Amino acid sequence: MGFLQPLALIALPLIGLPILIHLINQHRHRTIPWAAMMFLMSAKRMSKGMARLRHFLILLMRVLAVAALIFVVSRPLSGGWLGSIGMSKPDATLILLDRSASMEIQDLQAGQSKRFAALQKLAQLLEQGDYGTHLVLIDSASGQLQEVDSPKALLGLPTTESSATSADIPGMLESALAYLKANKSGRVDVWICSDLSENDWDVESGRWQAIREEFAQLEGVHHFLLAYADLPSDNLSVRVENVQRWERGNDAELVLDVVVRSKSTGWVTQPVHTTRKRFPIEFEVNNVRSVVEVELDRQGASLQGHRIPIDTKLRSGWGSVGLPGDANPLDNRFFFVFSEPPVRRAVVVSDDVKNGEAFRRALTIPIDPRFQHQVDIISVDRVAEIDWKSTGLLIWQAALPRGSVADQIAQFVDTGRVVIFFPSSQNADEQLFASRWEDWQTPGSQQVFGISWWRGDTDLLAHVESGDALPLNELRTYRYRSFESTGTPLARFDDDASLLTRVATDHGAVYFCSTLPTAQFSSFEREGVIFYVILQRALDQGCRALAVASQRDANLDVLADRNEWELVAPEDNSPLLSQSGLHAGVYRDGAYWTAVNRSHIEDSAAAVPVEAVDALFDGMSYRRIDVDVGDTSALASELWRIFLIAMIVALLVEAVLSLPSRRVRTTPLIDLTVSGGSAE
Amino acid sequence: MLQLKRDYLDQKVLERLSTLQLHARLPMIGSVSGKHRSPIRGSSLEFAEYRKYVPGDDPRRLDWRTYARNDRYYIKEFEADTNLRMCLIVDTSGSMNFTYNGMSKLDYARRIAGTLAYIAAQQGDAVGLYCAGTGFHKEIPPKRSAKHLSAVLDELGTMEASGETGLANVLHETAERVPQRALIVILSDLFIEPEVVRNCLEHLRFRKHDIAVFHLLEQSELELEFDRPMRFVDMEGGEPILADPTVIGTQYQRALEIYLESMNTVVQDTEVDYHRIRINENYDDVLARFLLGRTPKRHF
Repeated sequence: MGFLQPLALIALPLIGLPILIHLINQHRHRTIPWAAMMFLMSAKRMSKGMARLRHFLILLMRVLAVAALIFVVSRPLSGGWLGSIGMSKPDATLILLDRSASMEIQDLQAGQSKRFAALQKLAQLLEQGDYGTHLVLIDSASGQLQEVDSPKALLGLPTTESSATSADIPGMLESALAYLKANKSGRVDVWICSDLSENDWDVESGRWQAIREEFAQLEGVHHFLLAYADLPSDNLSVRVENVQRWERGNDAELVLDVVVRSKSTGWVTQPVHTTRKRFPIEFEVNNVRSVVEVELDRQGASLQGHRIPIDTKLRSGWGSVGLPGDANPLDNRFFFVFSEPPVRRAVVVSDDVKNGEAFRRALTIPIDPRFQHQVDIISVDRVAEIDWKSTGLLIWQAALPRGSVADQIAQFVDTGRVVIFFPSSQNADEQLFASRWEDWQTPGSQQVFGISWWRGDTDLLAHVESGDALPLNELRTYRYRSFESTGTPLARFDDDASLLTRVATDHGAVYFCSTLPTAQFSSFEREGVIFYVILQRALDQGCRALAVASQRDANLDVLADRNEWELVAPEDNSPLLSQSGLHAGVYRDGAYWTAVNRSHIEDSAAAVPVEAVDALFDGMSYRRIDVDVGDTSALASELWRIFLIAMIVALLVEAVLSLPSRRVRTTPLIDLTVSGGSAE
Repeated sequence: MLQLKRDYLDQKVLERLSTLQLHARLPMIGSVSGKHRSPIRGSSLEFAEYRKYVPGDDPRRLDWRTYARNDRYYIKEFEADTNLRMCLIVDTSGSMNFTYNGMSKLDYARRIAGTLAYIAAQQGDAVGLYCAGTGFHKEIPPKRSAKHLSAVLDELGTMEASGETGLANVLHETAERVPQRALIVILSDLFIEPEVVRNCLEHLRFRKHDIAVFHLLEQSELELEFDRPMRFVDMEGGEPILADPTVIGTQYQRALEIYLESMNTVVQDTEVDYHRIRINENYDDVLARFLLGRTPKRHF
């Protein structure tokens, strides 16, 4: 329980006042000489228990009345979680707000999203209480710390509005940690508002251990989790998985793969024959709308290869797919952009003809025959001839460059393209991307290096769509060149040396592969599959930057590659410049288009069990407050009425107990005419 | 006429009660002729009984008329009238100072005792006074002289109440020390256990004394009508008691009822002439009722 006027509690010792008055009255009774003491003593003996109980109750009621009056004045607040933090007020309050798309799930009756409801409750609570000298907001979309003037201001900030981003709760806690360490705050309340989405919390991350340890070293930090873990009763989300612009003769068309996912907890549990229902999907392309009805089953629905005819002159543009309104309005519309597919151009820089040919073969076999592939193999001394602008992938199998070439490669990567460095036979000490080649390694008695580990969840060696792993365990390496790098290994040999490493960059990607594809070095070319997948994935990744139109997940840096992005759609929602890229929409910069949407994880991520979330805060001062999105009650409400009623009741009881007891005279008091004996 | 200078004696009351006589309910053995019956046959005019002549009887007392009718010897006996000894036993414990409208129980007892002493002296009976209190103890054995009456009345006028009651001891002592049958008049509030009173009265009855009890009570003692907690100071010197009459009033009444019921039983068992009196009553009415109640019923 908290108090709005805690200073009034200083008066609590006044509850001893009735006891003091009682003790004083013990010495202030009127004194009267009395003869019939024997009856008084008998009466006192008879009424000893009841009289004492009555006196005790009267005293108790008076004490309670005074205590209730003091509590009324101190304006108590309800909320069991407040009890745990005692009476002290925080020096600062940090609010970690999850602005992910899933937080926009609404209670249809209240018309409030989880995000807004959480903000409103928190603002109301902080307004009633004391939030310290600093009120700091860390929103998941920007990850920035922002000092807020007052709790009420939280509701009007652009940084608390909805966004199509995902959240990184561990990252936000790390930001909070950095703030607390930098400011050396005393008592701090950290409020986390979240829907416990699996993706946002990333409970398996190793970062949690470090967060726990670091928070454990800070004293006076209390964590409150405002958890909106309830799922909507019925919610559908729509997503365009693939969009292609094709031309057939004189006609042009868009081919779309649309997926509708269901997050409902209500009707999907019904029997199959009753769960199917039809609902409309609305397409909008070039301001032309069309509606298609699809049948929905338990999992949702999918519309593969849906064709929308377009004007052949429309080389690029944008469109959207919409669903009827439901619990989460943010996942009911998905924007897409389209353009003619770019030529997938790769450049192989190598003086080794055999290896160069191996690269060329793997890169020119198209995944889709409709894509155009172009591979140029050039020697190191012809690097100046590279058309950097139209190249998506650079294979560098030579000594690491330096000087202007190194700068050009860095710039190439910075524009979102991909470079893979392969070892060369030349020995040089050059360093690039904080990496440099070392000596060639040959196997000892075992004749061959096997792959002991590789990362299959993401990046170039990720499992295929069916979930099957790439056959890296079948790869045989006969020679490799070790290298020193600060990057993240994606695959390791038996001797723990790295086969493939990704170097951290802000944009694009830089890889170092320690062996070559020809049979003298490895079975890359002979086995084929792994080599082909690695190069095609790298090419695909690099050529995305070449495309005029691109689909991107919303985040703060999504529009950082160009400076002139302008919002095209939706027209009715023009975010601040600082918030661009956080909201779903279509942006254009000259001939370039990009559609920004929520991450696919936001459509499918389930909530983390609360027990698992609680375990993340082990050893920290932590309290979880479960709230439903439709719950409009305040987190803390004033209780003074209850105490006022308690005071009145106590006074009434005291008055009743203090009433003189009614004397019951069942028989005449005494017969004063009694005359005993008789004359003889 | 005895010159009365005692302010507790009221001339009008004495004049009103002068027409009434104090009678003993039991035969008395007096030293002189008087107005009370004696267990010894005497020479009064009142016939008592016939009894058979036995050798040794005075032949002059033979009833010759009966002999003439029955041819048997009978002696005709007559009642003997004698005087009585009246012992006034006044409780002088502190509780007798309890006051109502300026008149304490002791004042009330003083008036009754004084008036009774005067009436008894007037009809030739002996009067004695015993003050029963630990703080004030006095004994004046019963005598018949006017001077003795004056001493009794003076003592009544000057006696004071204080300390604990010594009534039980005085009653036992009186039972032992008064040799002949006497009228024992007890004036007290009797704030002692009824069983103690029973022992005293049975002792007196065993000694064939005629016992009269004036049980003096005050109205506020009976009702305990106070509306706030009070500190009750024991008038006999005991520990004061802090009590709230509004809380213990019912229990007080209950204790009082039990006591009075017990006292009723005691006086009925011991056949004493018991009068329970509120001291706001006129004492002359009380005395008139007392005297009339003791007047023998004549059978014609």
